[in-house]
Amino acid sequence: MNKIILSVMLLISSFMLAAQDKGKKVVDQCYVCHESLGSDEATLFKKDIHFQKGISCADCHGGDRQSDDMDKAMSKEAGYKGVPKGNEITQACIRCHASSEMMKKYGSKIPTNQFELLKGSVHGKLAIDGAERIVQCITCHNAHGIVEVTNPNSPVYPTNVPKTCGKCHDNPVYMRSYNPSLPVDQLQKYRTSVHGMRNAKGDPKPAECASCHGSHDIKNVKDVRSKVYPTNIPETCSKCHSDPQYMKEYKIPTNQYALYKKSVHGVALFEKHDLSAPVCNSCHGNHGATPPGVESISEVCGTCHALNAELFSSSPHKKAFDKQKLPECETCHSNHDIEKPTSKFLGVTPDAICSKCHKPDDKSKGYMVAKEMRLMIDSLASTEKIDSALVEEAEQKGMEINEAKFKLRDATQASMEARTMVHSFDEAKFNEVVNKGLTVTSSVKADASAAIHEYYFRRIGLGISVVIISFLALMLYLFIRRIEKKNANN
Amino acid sequence: MDNVQNQPVQKSRRDFLKYLLNLGIVGFAASIFYPLIAYLKPPKQNEVVVTSVSAGKLSAFEKDSGKIIRFGSKPVIVIRTASGDVRAFSAICTHLGCTVQFRKDLGTIWCACHNGKYDLNGKNISGPPPRPLDVYKAIIKGDEIIISKMT
Amino acid sequence: MKNIFTKIYNWVDERVKLEDLVKFMGKKYVPVHRHSIWYYFGGVSLFFFIIQVTTGILLLFYYKGSSDLAFESVQFIMSKVQFGWLVRSIHAWAANLFILSAFIHMFSVYFEKAYRKPREITWVTGMLMFFMCLGFGFSGYLLPWNTLSFFATKVGTDIAGAVPIIGEPLRTFIRGGDDVSGATLSRLFGFHVALFPGIFTILLAIHLILIQRQGISEPMHFEEQHSSEKKTMPFFPNFLLRDLLLWLIVLNVLAILAVFFPADLGVKADPFSSAPAGIKPEWYFLFMFQSLKYFPSHILFAEGEVVGILLFGAAGLLWLLIPFWDRKSSRGEQNRFVNYLGIFAVIFIIILTILGWRS
Repeated sequence: MNKIILSVMLLISSFMLAAQDKGKKVVDQCYVCHESLGSDEATLFKKDIHFQKGISCADCHGGDRQSDDMDKAMSKEAGYKGVPKGNEITQACIRCHASSEMMKKYGSKIPTNQFELLKGSVHGKLAIDGAERIVQCITCHNAHGIVEVTNPNSPVYPTNVPKTCGKCHDNPVYMRSYNPSLPVDQLQKYRTSVHGMRNAKGDPKPAECASCHGSHDIKNVKDVRSKVYPTNIPETCSKCHSDPQYMKEYKIPTNQYALYKKSVHGVALFEKHDLSAPVCNSCHGNHGATPPGVESISEVCGTCHALNAELFSSSPHKKAFDKQKLPECETCHSNHDIEKPTSKFLGVTPDAICSKCHKPDDKSKGYMVAKEMRLMIDSLASTEKIDSALVEEAEQKGMEINEAKFKLRDATQASMEARTMVHSFDEAKFNEVVNKGLTVTSSVKADASAAIHEYYFRRIGLGISVVIISFLALMLYLFIRRIEKKNANN
Repeated sequence: MDNVQNQPVQKSRRDFLKYLLNLGIVGFAASIFYPLIAYLKPPKQNEVVVTSVSAGKLSAFEKDSGKIIRFGSKPVIVIRTASGDVRAFSAICTHLGCTVQFRKDLGTIWCACHNGKYDLNGKNISGPPPRPLDVYKAIIKGDEIIISKMT
Repeated sequence: MKNIFTKIYNWVDERVKLEDLVKFMGKKYVPVHRHSIWYYFGGVSLFFFIIQVTTGILLLFYYKGSSDLAFESVQFIMSKVQFGWLVRSIHAWAANLFILSAFIHMFSVYFEKAYRKPREITWVTGMLMFFMCLGFGFSGYLLPWNTLSFFATKVGTDIAGAVPIIGEPLRTFIRGGDDVSGATLSRLFGFHVALFPGIFTILLAIHLILIQRQGISEPMHFEEQHSSEKKTMPFFPNFLLRDLLLWLIVLNVLAILAVFFPADLGVKADPFSSAPAGIKPEWYFLFMFQSLKYFPSHILFAEGEVVGILLFGAAGLLWLLIPFWDRKSSRGEQNRFVNYLGIFAVIFIIILTILGWRS
């Protein structure tokens, strides 16, 4: 009964439309009928860029677009496919989107490699049912009502991306089935970040998901090709943050990447290929990216430099820095361009960092402690240097000096520990460590000097014994000659 | 050389030569025996001051087992309890200084010399030991067990 | 002073009849001719043996023969024990010079044909001692347990293992297992300090007693001469004192070598590390090692290396048994073949050692 009514209605409307659009070459009968029925798909499709370019429902769903006979138009003979399922969806899209010729025909200049990229991405893997890819084109781009990316209504327009990705990535139940250990709070964190807050206000420029992770070509974070793989992060961030033009309106510096590259951390990452070296997100956070606050710097740095942070936090400097609103580690070590610290940092010479605050004053405790610490660490360094020269000399002389050489490692360790202990800014603790090193160096020095002394002792000893033995040999020779002469005379 | 004429000179020269020869022998003996005796003198072993020592990897250390490690010149017994705790004690029995061992079957630290027993906290529980074993600090750093002296 | 010595001498003489011994030694003469110099190498070898026993015993006071401690104990000897470096360096140098002087002693006896009747036993014991010297060298080389010695032992025992039939069990026996390990060290240590010295001492005693009993061999041309034409020197005290004089000189040389070129220690052996490049045996094995390299991989049905080892074995046996097949010399006739064979052997050893050294 319903079917009859529907067909009658379709028939009438199609007649009407046919009469109306007589002037047009091609009449899209699919759209005509479905629109008149008020279907959501048809309504959405009206705004779709594909509709505007003259693409018909039949181009994706199959069937005869010209036939107004529903049974005929939506028959198998006419190639009607119905609602595409699974990978068929993407297949329908790439009929055009993977072909530059087709795209040219519609006057589009967008790339045609999206599907290739998608196939190689994390989303291109098979879904849990094993029958289709995890993500189809329509997952992000919608099916009907697709608009240009630059259109703020597009689900992949920057301000909409976080929500679009969040559809799945926010859903613990869904994500669990693929990667139980992957967090699902990225969106939540993102909203607390500088990027996320600006994004929420409708600014399309700050980074959203795709800015860092990529769009069609999203790779696993552990994949070296991933844009968010540790070694790639600095460059990924720098795409925007090192572009003065782009960053102009935000009024923040754009030299962080350049500074970072030269820093100890940058060198560790790029030259020593140390993946544990911190990159941008290690300090600033990734989804919740924002600069760390003044008081929390030591905690942030302390995630790796644990002992230093602990010592600092219990040192007199902690309170003093907080009071003066001095950023903790950064005050001495700076932030992006952290250089390898040397003992020159310490002390009261003009180029030492301590002297920035501790002005020359013999009554000031800080001034005196800084002076004393520098003195201690320098004396440890110089004795270490003397020792290794002595050990080397003994070694060159062919003496067995392995033990002293081994002990020397303890001295190196002590000077290493002393450098850490500086952060306690406690003279007694610091001296204890340095003295430990000095004890080692003095024993190494004794050993090495003894070995060198031994070297000369051996030669002198040899000289003496050679003289004695030769003397005895000579006497023996004379004695033999005497006996033989006696024999001859006899 | 005329033998008869040079008889007295010969005599004294011969004595002198013999004297020198003996001198040479004495010197030679000295140059042999000095190094020899020095060699036989027990060399002084300088005691190394150890503050901490590694007791190997935690993952390789079975639960409910114990092992003896060297701490400087002293033995230390490291124990991993059935619950996974790592503890370290001096392995020198407080009775007469034998080296104690972990007995899995008894669940105690046991001294083979006089059947002294200590519980897994180092407390003397049976037999002759007069006092508990000295406790050492066991710290787990990553996967490594570090033993150090209690301060 | 003199009285005490005389008294002691008389006391002993009364019981042991020392006088006979002195008379016996005094009657012995050493032939003097243009090849007399070679007579001294037996004595020098003996001196080296004495040095090896002395320094070896001294090293035993500190050496520990286990794979865990061997390297450390040698290091201890070299760095902590006073004059430990000297004792070890002398032991190492004397070992090499011992083998060198044994080589020279052997060839001088060979070319003088001093092995001819009635001295066959002296020759055989001498040759056996020479083989033991090589065994001493091979077993002693491993004892410091450093990388070089570890792999040299591995290669050396592998070559022994290539001998047909007895090779495999022999290799397992020397190694004390399938591979060179701590068991090998214990085993070679036992050979080096107990088994070999014991056997060596017995052989040496026979060797020396025979020399005293039979007197020193005269060169063949002496036999034709009239006894009044023969130039000789009393064994005691003249020859013995000359021997002592030479020993003193040798000791001086040893001391100089030990101070200026002390024995190396190297790096502790790690059985799991890969073999360092250019592993070479000690120089006295080098000519055999090098010539094995020149054998083609296959000779008829056998492996070239096996053929080579068998050839060396046969040559060694031939050499050992020379007094029994060189009948001509025993009859007092010239045997040119033996001379040519000896010259060939000397040249072969020298050239291949040089080739092996340079490769």
